[in-house]
Amino acid sequence: MQKEIRQTWFFHQSPEEVWDYLTKPELLALWLMKTDFQPVVGHKFRFVCSVINDCEVLEVNPYKKLSYSWRTNSVSTGKPFDSKVVWTLTQKGDGTELQLVHDGFTALEDVTGHDEGWTRCGNRLAQLSSPVKQ
Amino acid sequence: MTTQTPDVFQVVADPSRRQMLMLLSKESMTINALAENFDMSRPAVSKHIKIMYNAGFISITDIGRERHCTLKQDGFNQLQDFIDYFDKFWETKLKKLAAVMNKRSSTNRK
Repeated sequence: MQKEIRQTWFFHQSPEEVWDYLTKPELLALWLMKTDFQPVVGHKFRFVCSVINDCEVLEVNPYKKLSYSWRTNSVSTGKPFDSKVVWTLTQKGDGTELQLVHDGFTALEDVTGHDEGWTRCGNRLAQLSSPVKQ
Repeated sequence: MTTQTPDVFQVVADPSRRQMLMLLSKESMTINALAENFDMSRPAVSKHIKIMYNAGFISITDIGRERHCTLKQDGFNQLQDFIDYFDKFWETKLKKLAAVMNKRSSTNRK
């Protein structure tokens, strides 16, 4: 049973250039959100839009892999739930294949990780995968 | 982020409630039978039940003196919607990334 978001995209730019857009705050602000991100493991930062996402850098492998925790706070109650974002960059020809995996929704783990008995309610949960975009 | 999303997460964020949902995934149970599985007071169990009921995760049927709890689809659909929401969120953002990068690249080439 899958419970993750997985998307694969191809860009005509080099991994170095794509990496810049994933790691430089002024470039991240252009397409994602305002942030005080730094590509340093353990650095705590925020993505700010209508809600605040509290994040922490987990892995930095320049031009290849980047991951951070992603904690979103409930708009209504302010209580958080956790997840994880992983970017993987692969050079393909004269461009870059960029894979995004957003998973580890902790609150979902137990509920969706259970293999038995979800015949009534599990069918929808079983579809928690997404098509690959190329 | 839309405002209706995280409430269902508050429901499943609690380990006891997740365990209750798992027990109910095997069979419908009375509140008393459910309470026997937990080291907490009956009112505490009832409070959890009420939260799950309000969020659409379970339905309650009165049979005789007993209250029977059964899993309900609505709450789970909202969780699905949340995942769908994030999937679309990233798709939109990555499309924007491609547009921003292409614009910059062509500008640089001039």
